[in-house]
Amino acid sequence: MSVPQYRKAAALTLVAGLGLGLAACSTKSGDTSGDASGKVTITVDCQPVGAQKELLQNWNADVAEFQRQNPDIVVKSVSVGEQCNNPPDFTARLAGGTVTDVFYGYMTDLQQVLDSGQAMDITEYATTDTIPTWDSVDPALKEVFTDDGKLYAVPVKNYSMGLVYNKVLFQRAGLDVNSPPKTWAEVRDAAKKISALGDGIAGYAEYSAGNTGGWHFTALLYSQGGQVLTADGSRADFNNALGRQVLQNLKDMRYGDDSMGDRQLLQWGDLLTNAGAGKVGMFIGAPDATQAIVSQFQGRFEDWAMGPLPGQDGPAKSTLGGGEGYFFKKDLTPEQVRAGLKWIAYQKLTPGKGQLDYVRAKPQNYPVGLPQPLLFTNGSQAQQQELELRKANANVDTANFANFEANPVPIKGEPRNAQAIYAVLDAVMSGVLTNPNANIDALLRTAEEKVNKLLAAES
Amino acid sequence: MTITTAPGAVRAADRPGTSPPAQARRTSLGRTVRDQLTGHAFLIGAVLCFAVFSWYPMVRGVVMSFQRTRRGETTWVGWDNYLRILDDPSFWTAWQNTFYFTGLALVLGYAVPFFVAILLNEFRHARGYLRILVYLPVMLPPASALFLFKFYAYDPSDAGLFNAILKAFGLPTSQWMQSPEMTMPAMVIASTWMNMGSAVLIYLAALQNIPGELYEAAELDGAGIWRRIMHVTIPQTRLILALLAMLQIVATMQLFIEPLILANGAGAEDSATSVAYLIYQHGFFQNDLNGAAALGVIMLVVLAGFSAVYLRLTARQD
Amino acid sequence: MAPDTGTRTLISQAQLRRGRGRAAYWTLLAVVVVGFTLVFLGPLYWMVTGALKSGQEIAQTPPSLFPQDPQWQNYADAWHNLALAKLLFNTFYYATGAVLFQLVFDTAAAYALSKLRPVLGNVILGMMLATLMIPAMVLIVPQYVTVIDLPILHINLLDSPFAIWLPLVANAFNIFLLKRFFDSIPEDLMAAALMDGATPLRTLWSIVLPMSRPILGVVSIFAVTAVWKDFLWPKLVMPSPETRTVSVGIYAFAGGTPMNVVIAASVIAAIPTVVIFLVFQRNIMSGLTTGGLKG
Repeated sequence: MSVPQYRKAAALTLVAGLGLGLAACSTKSGDTSGDASGKVTITVDCQPVGAQKELLQNWNADVAEFQRQNPDIVVKSVSVGEQCNNPPDFTARLAGGTVTDVFYGYMTDLQQVLDSGQAMDITEYATTDTIPTWDSVDPALKEVFTDDGKLYAVPVKNYSMGLVYNKVLFQRAGLDVNSPPKTWAEVRDAAKKISALGDGIAGYAEYSAGNTGGWHFTALLYSQGGQVLTADGSRADFNNALGRQVLQNLKDMRYGDDSMGDRQLLQWGDLLTNAGAGKVGMFIGAPDATQAIVSQFQGRFEDWAMGPLPGQDGPAKSTLGGGEGYFFKKDLTPEQVRAGLKWIAYQKLTPGKGQLDYVRAKPQNYPVGLPQPLLFTNGSQAQQQELELRKANANVDTANFANFEANPVPIKGEPRNAQAIYAVLDAVMSGVLTNPNANIDALLRTAEEKVNKLLAAES
Repeated sequence: MTITTAPGAVRAADRPGTSPPAQARRTSLGRTVRDQLTGHAFLIGAVLCFAVFSWYPMVRGVVMSFQRTRRGETTWVGWDNYLRILDDPSFWTAWQNTFYFTGLALVLGYAVPFFVAILLNEFRHARGYLRILVYLPVMLPPASALFLFKFYAYDPSDAGLFNAILKAFGLPTSQWMQSPEMTMPAMVIASTWMNMGSAVLIYLAALQNIPGELYEAAELDGAGIWRRIMHVTIPQTRLILALLAMLQIVATMQLFIEPLILANGAGAEDSATSVAYLIYQHGFFQNDLNGAAALGVIMLVVLAGFSAVYLRLTARQD
Repeated sequence: MAPDTGTRTLISQAQLRRGRGRAAYWTLLAVVVVGFTLVFLGPLYWMVTGALKSGQEIAQTPPSLFPQDPQWQNYADAWHNLALAKLLFNTFYYATGAVLFQLVFDTAAAYALSKLRPVLGNVILGMMLATLMIPAMVLIVPQYVTVIDLPILHINLLDSPFAIWLPLVANAFNIFLLKRFFDSIPEDLMAAALMDGATPLRTLWSIVLPMSRPILGVVSIFAVTAVWKDFLWPKLVMPSPETRTVSVGIYAFAGGTPMNVVIAASVIAAIPTVVIFLVFQRNIMSGLTTGGLKG
């Protein structure tokens, strides 16, 4: 080996190292609760990422406007990735105590946040003083974030699932785009016709990995009138006729008709990628799934429509609902909590502002007119305002969602300990979707055993 | 390179009076103290890093495995974590999968590089080119290499690379990661492809050190190529082979990124769940760091068993 | 080693020059060259061109060898949407730091263990070597808990590059390699230096290190590869998008990005190291094959 070359390499490395060292890059959210000028600083996560250009622009504009209106508050935004709550990263942030002052979480996260000891009781701060529309916010959503009479988070989004379908493929397959399948038998028929188009098109697509399989199993079970856990949450309750029916339906489509495509073990983005490429006829999802298809996966709004969740012999008995909220980190000062609530009120809960600023969103590649976010109580003043604005500025054909809106299905929330249970149920879904000889009874039995053990360990 | 002989070498060098400096050190007490301080000063950086990031976590792991932390409060729970972990049906699946992977990796990931190295060592042409080729995948970020396999090679439809090739030869296609039987072999193939370069280079270095006379002598005795490999090549590289076998076993216990990316985690019917993935699942999906710590300790015990067997085997050969 | 015997390998040169042996040699060589090119370069070709195909073309049966309508946009999207420049910068930054920290601390430690031999040196070496048998996975949880809240100091190292650099210093294999190399440096040289009144630091700097370039090169290569290849640890200790390494970053974005763009990102991410490798391959190869890894 030639020595001079090594020396050169070492010198290069050293120079590079020194150069980089100067540009040291740590982006910790500071613990600056206030500075000399008496300003209150809060850090907030779930800022959109760079790829979501317009959303990011809107967010930054909102921050600027909010700070202009509240000169004594400084909002520092932190982006935690495309999916604001990717379970392992979220757990890592909780365990590591690196969550921001005001942090995003799913409705199912309350127990985990409490377990981590990072949560703050905000009951006394959440009033119309800090959130002008607070009395209009659906009490059922507040209840979801309440434990032992104490409120820990402010709901900012709420959804329920239905059947999302591709109108173009429906047309090509000779199906009526205005009357989507209402039962699983009809779904099966439609899927068969759509997949007959060939070209790798799946008539109906379903998840089976990364916890999303369990998530959708839950929704399918709800449509049958079943539940994942018993009412007291102590035991698994899916190893029964209803659970078997869910899996039998899937098995029939996957291996009976071969109408679910070749690629399985899909998780969130995989299915939506295929959908964006026009390879998926139907799947179950919330209205904003179409938004992701368009903004992230190169699809088009006009292709997609939505109907209510199908049931076994008629409309679904119930559908899966879920949502998001913002938690508050423990040990914040009262000023910080108030500042955080004001920010959430401005960006998430004020008709005409922030996420509800439909005038701004209309010309952007961002849908207005989806039957979401379902935050306010029916008939409340805020709901009326929001609805009017939404109608006036709709940029997607609301007719595409009329069917979904006109046929509401009772909403059921996610089970406690949802993510851990979903991980177990993934195996049930992958079993029935990847193994032609899958034994449905055995799959459900194993999953039941695992879930019961998991629940026993929790208590 | 022999780890086992190293302590012996140190002892030999430590014998008093073998070198002038050793005598010089003895001349004054102050000098000795100063020398000691200097010696430890040189050691302190590495020792601190070992202490904080290796030795202490080892103890901490054992302690954590007997505790449970809930809502910020830690209590002692005896063997509860272990019982819970052992009671989880995934525990046995994960061990089964991991051992299966280890076995396959020993056949494929261990033997293949050795024979590739023997082959490359015979060539007088294109040596540099072939060496670069074999090492090239090592340079890819692991996520890049695995996405390549996931999206293209293991695509279960006929549009997939492997299936297209199989089809072109009139062979039956495979479901790859979607088939519980193929999951592990497919992961070993991907893992071998992206990691074998380093092993090939290490073997090549060892092969170049075998004296040519040994082959000549064997040839004069009428030994064919296969017998020359068995009686010259392998005995001559025995130490490096043994060491890499151990390192390979330790490495296969870490099977994590392959299931995570290729199988989106657990794979078809848990066929991809490894022990390492289970640790991750417990610690960071189920919010159960204590259970994950207990699993870590169990893994350590299993490996200690391996090491004991390994040491006994290598000692007998010596 | 005499040149003649040095090149003698499994099969003798003479045999390969003879008629049948010669034909067999060239046939085998051709097969191996073509085969290895297909096996090791083929997938890379597939990756580079696959990223140029449209979603429709990817799903086509049988797959096309050349992209029919190259979508260069996929590469542009990957570069911008994944902030690849930032991810690559982070990775090189961590790798550079890892090399410096390991060279300084591990060399010092190996020098002390080999030449200064303080009391309890052997015990310390033994305790270090014991960690060789413990896979990182065993310690991942307690290590993580330690990094979140360092004992005594109570500092949180999450998102700090030190969370990658310092644990890598605790690398028994490198210390072992270095120590073995230092052991082979004659004691007389050291003694002479000591007689001249040189301090241990000076001896290390002007006698030991200049002789140890090959092994220092090897340790550096290992340090860079360790950072480059590691996945779970950086995923855990660098949770913010701004601090991620390239592997973790691509993985994190894969869930919400079309497959073509993920592959395009994978290609771009691979380019810098592949180029560095090709430029320095002579040094890297000879470093790896001669620097202390002999049987």
